[in-house]
Amino acid sequence: MAVNRSIAAQFFMEEEDGMAPEKLESLSDKVVDLLNQAHLMTKDVQKIGNLKQVQELIVNRDTTLLDSFLDEMLQFQHDKSADVKKFVVGFIEEACKKDTELLSNVVVHLNMMLSDVTQNVAVVKKVILCNTQLYKVALKWICKSKTIREKMETTWDVMTEMKNKIKAMLDSENDGIRTHVIKFLDMLIVVLSSKTVDSDVPKKSEGDVSLDQIPQNHPILKYEELKSEGQSTFENLIKFMASPSITSVNLMATMGTMTTIGKQRPIFLSKVVQAFESLHVNLPPTLAKSQVNSVRKNLKMQLLSLLRHPSSVEFHPQITTLLTDLGATPQEISKNIARPAETSKRAR
Amino acid sequence: MNNLKIAVVCSSNQNRSMEAHGLLSKKGFNVKSFGTGTHVKLPGPAPDKPNVYDFQTTYEQMYKDLEDKDINLYTQNGILHMLDRNRRIKPRPERFQSSKDKFDIVITCEERVYDQVVEDFESREQETGQSVHVLNIDIQDNHEEATLGAFQILNFCSLIRECTDLENDIDELLQDFELKENRDILHTVCFY
Repeated sequence: MAVNRSIAAQFFMEEEDGMAPEKLESLSDKVVDLLNQAHLMTKDVQKIGNLKQVQELIVNRDTTLLDSFLDEMLQFQHDKSADVKKFVVGFIEEACKKDTELLSNVVVHLNMMLSDVTQNVAVVKKVILCNTQLYKVALKWICKSKTIREKMETTWDVMTEMKNKIKAMLDSENDGIRTHVIKFLDMLIVVLSSKTVDSDVPKKSEGDVSLDQIPQNHPILKYEELKSEGQSTFENLIKFMASPSITSVNLMATMGTMTTIGKQRPIFLSKVVQAFESLHVNLPPTLAKSQVNSVRKNLKMQLLSLLRHPSSVEFHPQITTLLTDLGATPQEISKNIARPAETSKRAR
Repeated sequence: MNNLKIAVVCSSNQNRSMEAHGLLSKKGFNVKSFGTGTHVKLPGPAPDKPNVYDFQTTYEQMYKDLEDKDINLYTQNGILHMLDRNRRIKPRPERFQSSKDKFDIVITCEERVYDQVVEDFESREQETGQSVHVLNIDIQDNHEEATLGAFQILNFCSLIRECTDLENDIDELLQDFELKENRDILHTVCFY
């Protein structure tokens, strides 16, 4: 990659050398040039190298250019190469994080890529990942806005449509797609439930929106519907984790998700612990011997992580019994129990 | 999948991971290697007297140090030879927990190292949601086993290079590989 990038950069430098001085001053001309070159390039890495430079210029250097060149960039979603398409999806994510208003221009494109049945699996996965980021961005945008405009309503409709499609993909035949859906549901459950004082929220997610920030009488966002969607999604994920035909990778991804949810939303902790208990005595019969080892090891790690959460105190008996069954030593268990001092500090 | 990013990880980033790093690089893989230990340990004059370095020390510096300490001993036990090989691959050992690189596959050489890698992923704050498959192929920490282990890692990486949809195929690939090589492999998925 580095070599290819440097070739692209070299090409760019040569172009620059040949340009008239006044042309050099204009970022916009540079962007036009890079895009024109990209259209003619036959090698994916070169094309992506150019598009990366454009992204840097219009997303980070001069955001006023973002609006003018958005459509030009979006055109590359029709490129033959899956890598180029994936790049465009990544660009959409970065652009919308920079300027949320752009969501209304791009959601249709994302939906198109998600809905195309002939679409490359890697591109679909990238669109799901992108939705995992942008769903909460969109929700926050609409939730915080003082006036509701028509474009917000249409954007939210498309976001909701994509969300429903992604949820349905939990039944996909493709293991990797299912893994990505699990991570999407993880985000959905956390966002569509209320943050509480004992929520253990990662630093990077501190600014994320959650159910408690949504006004009860919002014209577009229906509080009660969203709340019950968060709960039903959680129930579905628990069912998914208990399904006898789940693959070991999906099982471990779901177990990780359960721990994240339990720590960020302790209201769900009792059901998470119950689900782990029933999983422990009822591992999917389809798992091979070494997969059972991997799953048990993973379960042990998840339980130790729950043990460290101050709100798990009332479940310590169940958790420690499970851990002992999984081969954890008493020292390992006591080392991971949150100290009272830590508890009060964390509870703030 | 030709552009898969692979990491091979052992404890000190000297023997097992470097043997695999060297071999995979030669075969054109996009590979990096790491150690998960808090220090870099090399055998010393007695089992309870290892040579201990930090991860900032270059292979070159270690080579010079051991050459000065006892050139005969460290030539005989192959440590100088190993360090010479290592310094041709990269300047210094790297600690996995300090790396910001993103990989598609992380292969560890020992269960304890696998645990440390998975724990490290769990303790990092997830940002992009990009998945990474972590798997363990046990290799004993000696020269012969490292050579054999590196070939097994190469065989596995050649299999995954052939598949068009790694995430969908990895379960089956691993099961076939386990049968063929007659070994148990730990495997999980983590997220960046």
